[in-house]
Amino acid sequence: MGSKIVNFTLNGREIDVMVKPLTTLQKLLREQLSYTATKEGCKQGGCGSCTVLVNGEPMMSCLLPVEDVEGQTVMTLEGLGVNGSLHTLQEVFFENYAVQCGYCTPGMLMVSNALLNHNPSPKRDEIVEALTGNFCRCTGYEPIIQAIQIAAQRLSNP
Amino acid sequence: MSTSAYFLPGSLEKATSLLAEHGPTLLVMAGGTIAMPLINEGISSPEKVMGLRRTGMNYISRSDGHLTIGATTTLTQMIHQDEIPVLQEAARAVGGWAIRNMGTVGGNLFAPPPAGDFAAGLLALDAQVKLVHRKGERWLPLSEFYSGFMVTALQSGELVAELRVQLPKGKTSFIKFGRKHSNTPAVVTVAAQLVMDNKRILEARLALNAAGPYPMRMKKAEQILKGSTLDAAVIGEAAQVAMDESEPFTDGIASEWYRRKMVQVFVRRALEKAGG
Repeated sequence: MGSKIVNFTLNGREIDVMVKPLTTLQKLLREQLSYTATKEGCKQGGCGSCTVLVNGEPMMSCLLPVEDVEGQTVMTLEGLGVNGSLHTLQEVFFENYAVQCGYCTPGMLMVSNALLNHNPSPKRDEIVEALTGNFCRCTGYEPIIQAIQIAAQRLSNP
Repeated sequence: MSTSAYFLPGSLEKATSLLAEHGPTLLVMAGGTIAMPLINEGISSPEKVMGLRRTGMNYISRSDGHLTIGATTTLTQMIHQDEIPVLQEAARAVGGWAIRNMGTVGGNLFAPPPAGDFAAGLLALDAQVKLVHRKGERWLPLSEFYSGFMVTALQSGELVAELRVQLPKGKTSFIKFGRKHSNTPAVVTVAAQLVMDNKRILEARLALNAAGPYPMRMKKAEQILKGSTLDAAVIGEAAQVAMDESEPFTDGIASEWYRRKMVQVFVRRALEKAGG
């Protein structure tokens, strides 16, 4: 059994891709589609830098075979901004110094986006809990938590 | 060697047929959170893999005082059910959000300690596990499922299909002690259920993870508790016996010596919490 064609929706656009058996979504995004916002970190599911949303739920793309997302809806950071402008979350991450080296940022933004979609005004401990699968080795997390709190306010009072 | 075939059967029947056809050369995975890291690292290079995500086994149903949980039910789904709070806590003990969206109840049974904390919750509820073969099925108490480090009663051609737990009759508690608040391997994890008649303990279930080669019940400590009056002395004795009964190990998280001490501390706290 060789390569297979897999159909799914990526950032609002339906695509067909050809993949070898068990190719991960991370590898497909970065190496075949040049969607490089999704980072390659530990490839163990331990760091969160490869987090994408599948049907709106955070998942580790390094652990997810492409064939498993057949017919599903996948969102990466490339799909977060609208019409070339930054999403509110991206703006506040930038303004609030929630980014230093930037490696964890795409995963952080994906999880934050899913959190605010599920829970538009999360409490601090709910933000912390949502981020526990995503490692940041620069910021100490505090600016990220604050950025999400600010984004939640801006999004609920536009 | 790269994987030459990845099967995604659409039902349990198709999955057991594929397993019968390909035998033990077929690597079975559900959420991928255990198998994929090994494959990504090149530690495991399976020629053929079967994923269970499309088998339709992600369900939770309630009937006659029991919860029946399909094997590919995710840990996130277990948090969303509210029939059995101790299983919500056990599910929260595993990984972070994204891992819980992928990792499954059935797959977690195969997580080598100190991973695999969900089983401690299941053991405290006397869970039964359904193993399905192409030619039939059998039920086993989860406490008889494990026989050694990464060794289970699962026979060739069998899949874990379902878990069944009685809604707890007693008071329950679940404590995971790790080096971080969450998303961390356990130093020790304790789950307890105490069925009480006033202060008297009618039934006791005490289960540990990361304190032996597999998640296990502390049956000697349970014997101390059963029939006793719940007080500080009995809790102290049960914690002492559990410490002696446990078989902790040294790894990058904690030493055997430290784990043993923490078994005593956290069994005591779990029993106080369940009894309080």
